[in-house]
Amino acid sequence: MKDEQPVTDRPATGRPARRGALWAAVAWTLGVLALLVALPLAARDRLPEQVATHWSGRNPDGSMPLTAAALFPAGIWLLVALGVAAAFRFRPGQARGHFAAVLAATGVLLTGAQTSVVHANLDRARWQDAAPMGIEVVLVIVAAGAAGLLAWFATRTPATGGTGGTENATAHPATALEVPADTRLVWLSHAANAWMQVTAAVLGLGAAGIALIAASGLSGPNWFTAVTLAVGAVVLLLSSSVQVRVTAAGLYVGFGPFGWPARRFAPEDLLSARAEQRTAGQTGGWGYRINNRGTTVMLRGGDCLVVRTRRGSDFAVSVDDAERGAALLNTLITGAATPTR
Amino acid sequence: MLLKLDTGDARPLHEQVAGAIRRAVAEGECAPGDKLPPARELSRALGVNTNTVLRGLRTLRDEGVLEFRRGRGITVATDADTRSELTERVRQLIADAARAGYSRNDLVDMIRGMS
Repeated sequence: MKDEQPVTDRPATGRPARRGALWAAVAWTLGVLALLVALPLAARDRLPEQVATHWSGRNPDGSMPLTAAALFPAGIWLLVALGVAAAFRFRPGQARGHFAAVLAATGVLLTGAQTSVVHANLDRARWQDAAPMGIEVVLVIVAAGAAGLLAWFATRTPATGGTGGTENATAHPATALEVPADTRLVWLSHAANAWMQVTAAVLGLGAAGIALIAASGLSGPNWFTAVTLAVGAVVLLLSSSVQVRVTAAGLYVGFGPFGWPARRFAPEDLLSARAEQRTAGQTGGWGYRINNRGTTVMLRGGDCLVVRTRRGSDFAVSVDDAERGAALLNTLITGAATPTR
Repeated sequence: MLLKLDTGDARPLHEQVAGAIRRAVAEGECAPGDKLPPARELSRALGVNTNTVLRGLRTLRDEGVLEFRRGRGITVATDADTRSELTERVRQLIADAARAGYSRNDLVDMIRGMS
């Protein structure tokens, strides 16, 4: 339970508070690191030379020397912490809550796993005799999920959680830009979710790691895991950023770093456009979401560009400056409806 | 960001692209330090070739409006907004002077003669 303490310590906003959050994250990182290394080493006298570190079903089927078992999870943890630090450095304003959530969940997951490993190997002569794994796995995963959620709630910025803008945005659904006769206007915007990008990178690295290990002959190829990780990485990468533009051809929403795949809406296919405040809570999570509000490409809470198609469904994408994108689209829609053009 | 293009503009395309971005910076569409959309993205939005966009962007770099940084893309230079606004006004001035029959050198002389 002491795992969750630093999570609630992290204040949500404000400049002095941000510094506090930074120190809390550093303390949390070092604390988890120390725990991961110290746990097996402290129990050294009661553990076998080789400790069981992998179970298949309920029986141990993989082992590591004691020192490796102490250092391996610590290495993973350092990688995660470095990833979060890098994301924080390059995307400081966005999705701060996600960084805290990733740190909290991973920390709890790794310490929980390490504790289970030490516990299962305690007082055994050989690693093959290690206790079976069962309910511990479920408990650790649930605890990690809970810690991540708590951290997310504790650190998310109130500005993105507010729905105050909804009434304003929907009150003027048909705002249009005035375009002088001899002027062509185009609108560009983009949004990205650093947390999803980092996760995609971690998954991709995991897949590459498994492929490398298989290639080096250290173990048999674990293709199922490798392919799952690789597919997950690609899907996450594609849904972690969008490029949006409004031109005479209508609305274009390109996914991922290459802008492919993409969704296009011609002005003739649209009824109206508006800007709206939406949160991940309302849309049911991040990424490509389909629910009773229609389709939402949710990368961060806040400003969303929403279009209503002629088929009566809504398509929304979370981008900055959505208000003017919607206004320009409305101008194009009315232009397309006029028979003279 | 919102880009404005004049459909009746007879200048070469790369100058029009540079003009649209210069105007966007002057109007505060992107603040100093902001990242510009990638050239490929701009070229698709404006419906012009990527090389044309790059040529326009290089013009703006030479004017001190943009900064090209390896690995960080193209960013709006500090003080670019004031500089960009001035450049735009000087351009306008040159065009007005040309219409009235004054060359650039005449303008320079006029500016020197100002007190």
